[in-house]
Amino acid sequence: MKSFGIEFVPMELFWRTTYYTIQAEHLGYDSIWITDHFNNRNVYVSLAVIANYTDRIKLGPGVTNPYLIHPVMTAQSVASLNEVAPGRVICGIGAGDRTTLEMVGIPMKAPLRTVREAVEIIRRQIAREKGSYEGKLFKTSAGARFNFKMNEPIPIYIGAQGPKMLQLAGALGDGALINASHPDDIKRAVKLIAKGAEKAGRDPKEVDIAAYTSFSIAENEKKARKPAVPVVAYIVAGSPPFILEKHGIPVEKAEKIRNDLANRNWGEAFGAVDRNMIDTFAVCGSPDQCTEKIATLFKTGITHFVTGSPLGPNVRESIKLFGVEVLPHFKELP
Amino acid sequence: MEYRELVKSVPRPMREGLSENLMDILLEAKDGGDVPTSLAKTILYYWQRDQLASEAGLTNLLRAVVEANPIQTAAVLDDFGLEEIKLAISPAEG
Repeated sequence: MKSFGIEFVPMELFWRTTYYTIQAEHLGYDSIWITDHFNNRNVYVSLAVIANYTDRIKLGPGVTNPYLIHPVMTAQSVASLNEVAPGRVICGIGAGDRTTLEMVGIPMKAPLRTVREAVEIIRRQIAREKGSYEGKLFKTSAGARFNFKMNEPIPIYIGAQGPKMLQLAGALGDGALINASHPDDIKRAVKLIAKGAEKAGRDPKEVDIAAYTSFSIAENEKKARKPAVPVVAYIVAGSPPFILEKHGIPVEKAEKIRNDLANRNWGEAFGAVDRNMIDTFAVCGSPDQCTEKIATLFKTGITHFVTGSPLGPNVRESIKLFGVEVLPHFKELP
Repeated sequence: MEYRELVKSVPRPMREGLSENLMDILLEAKDGGDVPTSLAKTILYYWQRDQLASEAGLTNLLRAVVEANPIQTAAVLDDFGLEEIKLAISPAEG
């Protein structure tokens, strides 16, 4: 079973994000993920509005992090959202973005343990488990339970990029959100997720594995590439040297892009983004090209494909292009 | 100006395309074109039901885009050959 999702960054007014989500639901997308950054609109306010205007599509944070939001609050938020959209809520959680966390003076310490304990607490809270939780980082007392009932579990997806976090996603997650776009990176990630699942005594098929990609579609390749450039510039700037080297991207070039971005030299930074960088860090092109690339990604073992920012030069048109010209190649539409 | 009466004059086969073009104006307007929240919610209500191209849906959409960007609205109406509506929504000169 192949699923398709879409990610929105709530930089836009609430009604715009909601408009695009309704459009995605009409076209047959299966999931919508809203990013959780303190400098954008609140993820759960956005999701609650969206839940009111949709009936079928699954929805949740993609992804929240346990450094800024305590896991009991994440559990409370997704459980409350589930009352508005019963059975449709999903919860993406990851370690977050180091740079963003540092802006508010929070160091990203022990990310694996932090995410593991957070997932355990969210599950316990939703299940209203009795007794206390004694983690190394988080503790909850026996009385820290919801005063309201939940009728169903909420699938938890772990956002991951590094080898250990990918294995944790396989060991612990109902799903995994692979933060990559290139088939080689995704293939490697799928193997690590399976390894993590097997080590934990699980069948890897229990894990819904999503490629959470940077995506851009337009009627032709040239138009699709343009909006991908700024997003790819940031990905290149934030990528570890081994990833860059693996894809033939000179580390010095990435370093220069990072400095230009830091100094707000947008023209220099974006001008340095080349075709190889876009092909490495984004799924981008005409509907036919995107269909071919997505088919290749499904061959790696993923079960879910998420179109992330920038989506395309005109978001409404890009969602339509994807829904009308790409989705029918992979699934029967409602 | 009675928007509903204006919308009634839009030929039915044209309504779908017109609603998409008007929606693009709204989606691209700077700061959301200052569309009142209540009107934005009404538009979402019709969109959820796939009724933005209906008479009621288009009426609300037209009301919003005229506020958000009257120049672009006039240009779209021009493209669709809806001269009478364009004149009706244009502010009186002099």
